[in-house]
Amino acid sequence: MKKFVSAVAILLLACLVLATFAACDTEEKDSLVIYNWADYIFDDKLTDFKNYYKEVTGKNIDITYVTFDTNETMLTRLTKGDSNVDVVCPSEYAIQKLIEMDMLVPMHYFDEEQYTASFSVNVNKDIYEHNSDNVEPGIIDKVSATFGNINVEGKAEPVSMVDFFVPYMYGTLGVLYNKYAFMDLGIYDEEILNRANWGILFNDNGAGELLSEGLTGSILMKDSIRDSYAATVFYLLESGRLDGLKNKDGVYYTEMPVGELINAVDDQLLDCVKQVLTNQKSQLFGYEVDFGKDDLLTGNAYVDLAWSGDAMYAVEESWNDELGEDGDYELAYYVPHSTGNIWFDGWVVPKTHNPEHLDAIKLFINYLNRPDVAAANLLEIGYSASVKSDVIKQDDDARAVLAEGYNVYAPELWDAVDEDGNPIAQDECDFADWEEFELYFFHNSYENEEGDIVSYDEISGSNWRYPFESAALNADNYRNIDSLGVMRDFGDKNHDVVTAWNYSRSAGVNALPLLGWTMLAVAVAVAVVFLILRIKRVARHTVRTHSTDAEG
Amino acid sequence: MKKFKFRFSRRAFAYPYMIFLLLFVVVPLVIILINAFLDDANKFTFQNFAEFFSDAGGGLTVLGNSLIIGLVTTLICLVIGYPCAYFLAKYHASNRVLVLLFILPMWVNFLIRTLSTKAIFMALDVQLGMGTVLFGMVYNYLPYMILPLHTTLVSIDHSYIEAAEDLGADKMTVFLKTVLPLSLPGIVSGITMTFIPAISTFAISEILSSSKIFLFGDAINMHFSKTTNSFGVGSVMSLVMLVLVVVANVIVNLTSKDEEVTSVL
Repeated sequence: MKKFVSAVAILLLACLVLATFAACDTEEKDSLVIYNWADYIFDDKLTDFKNYYKEVTGKNIDITYVTFDTNETMLTRLTKGDSNVDVVCPSEYAIQKLIEMDMLVPMHYFDEEQYTASFSVNVNKDIYEHNSDNVEPGIIDKVSATFGNINVEGKAEPVSMVDFFVPYMYGTLGVLYNKYAFMDLGIYDEEILNRANWGILFNDNGAGELLSEGLTGSILMKDSIRDSYAATVFYLLESGRLDGLKNKDGVYYTEMPVGELINAVDDQLLDCVKQVLTNQKSQLFGYEVDFGKDDLLTGNAYVDLAWSGDAMYAVEESWNDELGEDGDYELAYYVPHSTGNIWFDGWVVPKTHNPEHLDAIKLFINYLNRPDVAAANLLEIGYSASVKSDVIKQDDDARAVLAEGYNVYAPELWDAVDEDGNPIAQDECDFADWEEFELYFFHNSYENEEGDIVSYDEISGSNWRYPFESAALNADNYRNIDSLGVMRDFGDKNHDVVTAWNYSRSAGVNALPLLGWTMLAVAVAVAVVFLILRIKRVARHTVRTHSTDAEG
Repeated sequence: MKKFKFRFSRRAFAYPYMIFLLLFVVVPLVIILINAFLDDANKFTFQNFAEFFSDAGGGLTVLGNSLIIGLVTTLICLVIGYPCAYFLAKYHASNRVLVLLFILPMWVNFLIRTLSTKAIFMALDVQLGMGTVLFGMVYNYLPYMILPLHTTLVSIDHSYIEAAEDLGADKMTVFLKTVLPLSLPGIVSGITMTFIPAISTFAISEILSSSKIFLFGDAINMHFSKTTNSFGVGSVMSLVMLVLVVVANVIVNLTSKDEEVTSVL
């Protein structure tokens, strides 16, 4: 009996193995393993890439798409030995870490010849278009300035991050707030906000007083060590708490450029950060993980520390027909004027990638910088694609993608038909023409009845969808791209920062009174029960004595 | 010969689960233990323990808070749960519908329940904090207290109570001298089933205080998911948690030895 069972099992197994091999044989496909943030690409573009790949190489491709939710999860997975990934999209500081550990292959994307040299015979170079010129040059400048000299473990020559990564998305760190709540509190005013700047998150008006009493208990902080650290350091600087303090080298913190200050993690600064974060607790509604936008829209909280992409998305979702004269966005995004953080996510290739996939890797990375693909992605996920906005504005395919996505009446760009194929009239569209949309999308403004261009947000230069452009437009103003610093990895200070963050998170909660009250309640309860028993016993005793008396 | 064969094949059915236990329970525990003694550069160190027990990151404070909140939750659950289970057993032993009503909340995902609780609190303008967290914990763990109590109380032989009444005990004495001692195993397992998850919870405190109340579970979570190089301290904290659970179980087993009941965990 047993033998029979084994025989059947082996037979079945053999069939299965054969079937698998057979399936593989019939169709020879290339493959690619992508490791990206969750919700960080327009899914249709993966299918479109398969068609593009077929067009360029004449071969089919299978894509395995895996996601992560924090840079830390990704780093743990890559460093602890998962070798199945071909291409990853981490943030700048995580890329720095990977380069330091000598885990990445240089791509040399900005040198077309070097980038395309490895292409196999399959790639049709007549169809292939190199898109590196589309990339916003500001990104490359910022990254070379901050990550120009990275020391690789075990190598003498430092390297530049620009050779390793291909920009994908970028954005700023800022304050997402409920515009109408701010109006009610009387603090929706450019001057007030600019004076408070990062103090908005600490309910500080810039002079050490409360910004507004109504803000107490309505502030959300991001449950993220790096972002909270950055916001706190900026606040320390802006509120004058760093005045007169010097770092180890005897340089005043106030005299350091933003890009350096944000990366100058030392014990003195950490102590200040710890102190401020601990004190901030009394002003907080809480720490936000995923629900920040909802809490702002329901009025539970008025302010949140947010990334530009999340903020833009939240602002767009917050359109309310009942506000203002003809409806308005309830939320707004503000990047404090003199200091801030700008960050970048980019594609890198780990050394453990499958060499047979190299064509696919390079074609994929380059494909994402095509204007229409970038437009589709930025439409879907809300962050700024690293493709220059001028390129997107001038590319017909990209314009068509945006026009369709935002329901713009532009028959010259797209069919302007609804789901059933019926043409949509101009007044049924959300934007009457491309010009109106361009004003909104790239400049956050609209043309009023008098023909003036008016911003949706009175706080000037608030459209930070394109930080480099906003900065250029406001060059005469106080805003300047130099005031946005890029954060490096905390390096060997990482542990201290985590400890400080843990300390301030755990401070201010004291459960001892709770224990006291409970003990008291238990004591009272025991006493009451004891008393009741006592009274009953006395009563019974009296009854018994009475009955004995009667008998006697 | 025949008998041997039969027994062999029956034992074989347990192997898959034994292998599962070995891979997903024993091996991870060993990894935690090893990690607790490693520093960033993977060298042997006691630094992680020193760091945790010196309370540099507020770890001990958090542990204290968690223990207190767990204790209070358990106590409230017991105070509410015992009478509830008692009357359920006494008057509705045969009425399964009523018992079902008490288990019903357990069938709804607890995250959904907790998020709805938060929404209700927000709608009522209740400020989120210690009180709301405690409410959420009691609400969530109450069924775990009632169920074992109910099971024990229902299974008490009614003739004990009748005997006590025949011997002249009044209602209070019947309860204190017969029902309460006989239900002790239920109380003990109810306490373990409530206390142990209550000290390690983090989702409830995170949602119902908007992460303002930072518990031990949150702290462990932070060390593993928000950073890449503090697995050491995180492992030490997990070990401390494990020791607490073991200690709780030992206490339970000691107190319930006479009752021949061992804890559920």
